[in-house]
Amino acid sequence: MPGGLFTDPSPPALPASIQLGGVPGFRDLLPEEAEVIREAQESLLAEMRRWGYRHVITPMIESTNVLDLGLGSEQRRRLFKFTDSGGDVVALVGERTVPVARLVAGKLRSTALPVRLCYAGPVLSADAGRFHQRRETYQVGAELIGARGAIADAEVIALAARCLEAAGLRRFQVDVGHAEFFQGIMDAVKLPDAVKAGVRSALAARDFVALEDLLSRTALRSAEHELLLRFPALRGGPEILDAAAGLVRNRRSEWALNELGRVRHLLESHGLGDIVRLDLGAIRDFDYYTGIIFEGYGPDLGRPVAQGGRYDGLLAKFGRPAAATGFVVQLDLVWEMLSRGPRPPAPPRLDAAIAWTESGFEAALRLGSTLRLFGMHAVVDTQPRDHDDALAWCRAIGAANLVHCRNSSTVAWTVPGRRTKQLPPEQVAARLAGTGR
Amino acid sequence: MAKASRNDRVSIALPTGVLLQGALKLLARARLARLSAPELGRKLLVERPGLRVVLVRPSDVPAYVDHGAADLGIVGKDVLWEYEGGHYELVDLRFGACQLVLAVPEASKLAGPETWPPLMRVATKYPRTTGWWFDARGQSVEVVSLHGSVELAPQVGLVDAIVDLTASGETLRENRLRVAGVLGASTARLIANQASLKTRTDAVQAMVARLREAVSVGD
Repeated sequence: MPGGLFTDPSPPALPASIQLGGVPGFRDLLPEEAEVIREAQESLLAEMRRWGYRHVITPMIESTNVLDLGLGSEQRRRLFKFTDSGGDVVALVGERTVPVARLVAGKLRSTALPVRLCYAGPVLSADAGRFHQRRETYQVGAELIGARGAIADAEVIALAARCLEAAGLRRFQVDVGHAEFFQGIMDAVKLPDAVKAGVRSALAARDFVALEDLLSRTALRSAEHELLLRFPALRGGPEILDAAAGLVRNRRSEWALNELGRVRHLLESHGLGDIVRLDLGAIRDFDYYTGIIFEGYGPDLGRPVAQGGRYDGLLAKFGRPAAATGFVVQLDLVWEMLSRGPRPPAPPRLDAAIAWTESGFEAALRLGSTLRLFGMHAVVDTQPRDHDDALAWCRAIGAANLVHCRNSSTVAWTVPGRRTKQLPPEQVAARLAGTGR
Repeated sequence: MAKASRNDRVSIALPTGVLLQGALKLLARARLARLSAPELGRKLLVERPGLRVVLVRPSDVPAYVDHGAADLGIVGKDVLWEYEGGHYELVDLRFGACQLVLAVPEASKLAGPETWPPLMRVATKYPRTTGWWFDARGQSVEVVSLHGSVELAPQVGLVDAIVDLTASGETLRENRLRVAGVLGASTARLIANQASLKTRTDAVQAMVARLREAVSVGD
């Protein structure tokens, strides 16, 4: 930082190379956010485990040889890479589906399929663009490997929805589409390969102006052309399946519509009919996804909070061919949605500040232990204080109660703003635990 | 999902500068809102039944849309070339036509790729696009990123050439520059936030349809 740039008082003089804010694109999560993200992560993993998904922890670092098998060129470009002591190139993981596939094909090779696994942890990107100027983000994911068909697809979508509920989200919707619907259209449209490649890249860039331009230069106007042009509008309830079925004339798309209908029906049986929308124009990485794809959206958030789908091709690349489907939830976005919601998560609160004078120190330690046994959050001071000083300290650390210990038989209990009560420590403990948090 | 009022209201980000008149005319022709440039310029944010219009710098339009602060945006294709984001580019609005060109001093010997030096120095407000264009032609280039008065750079010997936007070519001629190549053609585009299209499909799609219709009526 150039000297003299800021006129406000600067922190203690440090060498210019010490960035107190951390490396750009990385950030510290303060208690308000860290607590919410930790709780969301725990409730997501707990919900996944209730559905029989076993928790695994895969390493932060993987060999690029492994990651290259599963990632597209753009994802590979965005990896943080460096060389290991042996000269091998390794990378910090940018997602964890590929590591889980490696695990299932490797150490878990003899485990019977289907296998249900879940995981949580940070993922990194060398490129700030991927997570909206962040290079580190937190994900929780689940994978169902070795099961094909609509029942497995519906299970994973239902699990994703229940996970979002478990994290505390109340208003969200899940958009379900099918990668094969698009592939069928691409098979059926009569276009030169070069134009088809252009259509794919225009769609990947969500550039419908370029798409229209490409298609307008071809003489043929089939129903498939029209479908491609209307891609972003192909959304709705079950009725769009019939509408689309009347337009497509190819097996692959028809099969996809059929399967979408079954998944939608199954999701109704899961009790989720009202939050599911069908999206035939979902644009995702079509080289990777092979079947049902889905995204979870919340209100007023510009990006999906959960994403997933079927990827039946990945496991074969690791030598254990298996159908697979799964999803990830973006914890940062869960936090954003919760904090913008009608009841933003309350900042974590200390239940008790325990202050003492010399003769009350033992009592203070005992009271702290007792309160913690009841699951309360209690801080015992590191220095003796008189009562006024203790009250100021209690307010400064934001505790709900002050307990001032001056001897082992009676302590002074104060709720800031109310009158102080003199009580035996056991009674204070009982009343604090009894009132609950 | 969201409250009804929020659900039905669509917000659109318009760019300041040369595209603003065209954007306002389009909104009027689509019978969405009649707004005058001075009024919008003074208030920056105008609310109408079912519509919120915000006025932002042209290069900021994609950011407003991508982050969901606006559902829709009107922006020049030239801005989108430089901005990588997750928005949908939906409609060519066909106004604000201009070209991104490679221009050199009139006296310069530079013309086609065969005349380019081993390392070309180019000043531009479009560093990404410029880098790609030369890279696709196997040309090494040193891009000098400037924020304004790019025309000046070759005259004072800062660079060999510039890459800049031109509608009539007048500014280039005034600065004794001539066009040595065309990188691309730009017009105003309608872009949309990906989540808006999914969570408030009906309201957003209805507005897109009216704008699309207004474009073809204007032809």
